[in-house]
Amino acid sequence: MKTRRFVALAAYALLVLVLLLAGGPRPTEVRRRVRLLAHDSSRDLASRRLDGSSAAFDRRFFFFLESARRRLPPDAAGVAVFEPDPQMAAHVLALYHFAPRPVLLAPREEDIPPGWILAVYGNGRPEGWREIARVSDGALYARLP
Amino acid sequence: MNLLPALTAVAGILLVASAAGWLAARALGLDRPAFAAERLVWGVALGVLLLAGVVPACFAVGLRPGWIPFLAGAAGLALLGRAFSARGGETPEAIGSRPPKAPRARPVSVFLDALLVLGVGVYALRCLTEPMWATDFLAIWGGKGKAIFGAGGLPAWLHRMPELGFTHPEYPLGLPFLYASFAFLLGYWDDHATALLFPVFQGATLLFLAAWLRRRGAPRPVPLAAAAALSLVEPLYRAFTTGMGDVPLSFFLLLLGASLVDALDGEPGAVRRLTVAALGAAALKNEGLLAAAAAAVIALAARRTAKAVRWRATAAALVPALSVRALQRLRMGPLPLRDFDFRLLFAPELPIRIGFDLRAIALEALVPGAFGLVLLAMLFGAGRRSIPAARLATFAAILLSAYALLPAFAVLGPDWLVRTAFVRTSVALAPLAATAVVLRLAPLFAESVSGDGSSGSG
Repeated sequence: MKTRRFVALAAYALLVLVLLLAGGPRPTEVRRRVRLLAHDSSRDLASRRLDGSSAAFDRRFFFFLESARRRLPPDAAGVAVFEPDPQMAAHVLALYHFAPRPVLLAPREEDIPPGWILAVYGNGRPEGWREIARVSDGALYARLP
Repeated sequence: MNLLPALTAVAGILLVASAAGWLAARALGLDRPAFAAERLVWGVALGVLLLAGVVPACFAVGLRPGWIPFLAGAAGLALLGRAFSARGGETPEAIGSRPPKAPRARPVSVFLDALLVLGVGVYALRCLTEPMWATDFLAIWGGKGKAIFGAGGLPAWLHRMPELGFTHPEYPLGLPFLYASFAFLLGYWDDHATALLFPVFQGATLLFLAAWLRRRGAPRPVPLAAAAALSLVEPLYRAFTTGMGDVPLSFFLLLLGASLVDALDGEPGAVRRLTVAALGAAALKNEGLLAAAAAAVIALAARRTAKAVRWRATAAALVPALSVRALQRLRMGPLPLRDFDFRLLFAPELPIRIGFDLRAIALEALVPGAFGLVLLAMLFGAGRRSIPAARLATFAAILLSAYALLPAFAVLGPDWLVRTAFVRTSVALAPLAATAVVLRLAPLFAESVSGDGSSGSG
């Protein structure tokens, strides 16, 4: 019985050590998190997301999304987002940001449903669409009647 | 709004919901002093289910979710607890003796308390540093919650746009409804303050683990040691999984496993607890339905248990889980599992796929985690056989085997699913594994107490 207890205690001690070494808090991580929390806690939610991990792949793109969201016509049925380098992270962030409206990333012209708005990140200018608003690093377009 | 007032509001909502859940927990056979801590945890579980459930209930009758439906639901829950209160009984293994206190418990407990505070504190910091950000949170859990809140209903695109299939329309909506519920009550969407749910889920898991094990007779420092170690399991409690379904599921899986064991031991109220846990697990993730099925298999196969008890436990696990899925199917139609093709079951390449699958698991999970897994096996092996531990371990093993085999059916290949999901889903079984290990180890340390003649009142 003593041997079993000893094995259990030794295994537990080593397991805790492994957990602490593999995934335990690092002073640098704790400092970074505390600093970010202290810096952001009094800011609005959009600013906190701008500073966070989901916008890290391109913070200007998040700026564009937030700016576009504020200028989006209330009756927009959905948003087709165009950006120079279409990637999944951009699609997911745009879908989340424009919710409850659905979002497609760089769809073909014929796949854009009626009533949708185009949000173009960068300088592109789609043909057959009229600009309805300039936003940060881009513009919003509606289909020509 | 600033973070602190929003966090306070979220905490207040959780407190009100949990208080209603605590009152309702009288119906779960938890009104004896020995169940006090467990009752708190079941209060949180019921409160969370109330919050999530009030949203589809409102939609079904054409109401906008808000404070009045929520408070009416809370009052209804509390009244249910009063009307159907069930008197708790003794836990079979604990009859006749209070859990003893091990010798030299105080310095050990202080050290373990410190570890626990470290684990809980660091997880809270990781959860609350920034708005929830994981890709799966944005695309699936939070994205749907935000859409439900913004649309004041279930937008059709959630399940009718094949181009947005990556949002997994076939996943259960429990977590999105929970997020939406907070937004309806707050009056705005706050994906930062709502992250408070995750430290609460962790705290509830750890408290339940310790309280349930104590009631089952484990000497005091042993459940504390398990809770402290579990709080440090970073693959489960990390920033990346904040907002995703794994941490809440791990909580409900522990409740499911423990109430299954209690139910098979014939504890009054345990079948009702099993019903609640199965409902919660199935509403959160597809794995929850699998867990309910695994619980039913264990119940049916349980030896030394009366046939009626086994059938009641089977029904308690399956009926709520299947009901949740039936309701979702009724509302959204048949939605196949997007990531899997089960026609591969009859394909000649299945053995090759299983081979790739197991190789990927070895590379992604077994090799990096080898040392930790060996230590866990040592802890398990050092303990003594016990029927409750065997039932919990079997429950976890069935789920783990299913998680290990599923990648063989992945449309994008076994490697892909193992890489993206296997460790994350498997590690949600950690609370169950820890509980099974402690149940096996407890007699060793209890004996050391009686051997020294220093058994305390606990």
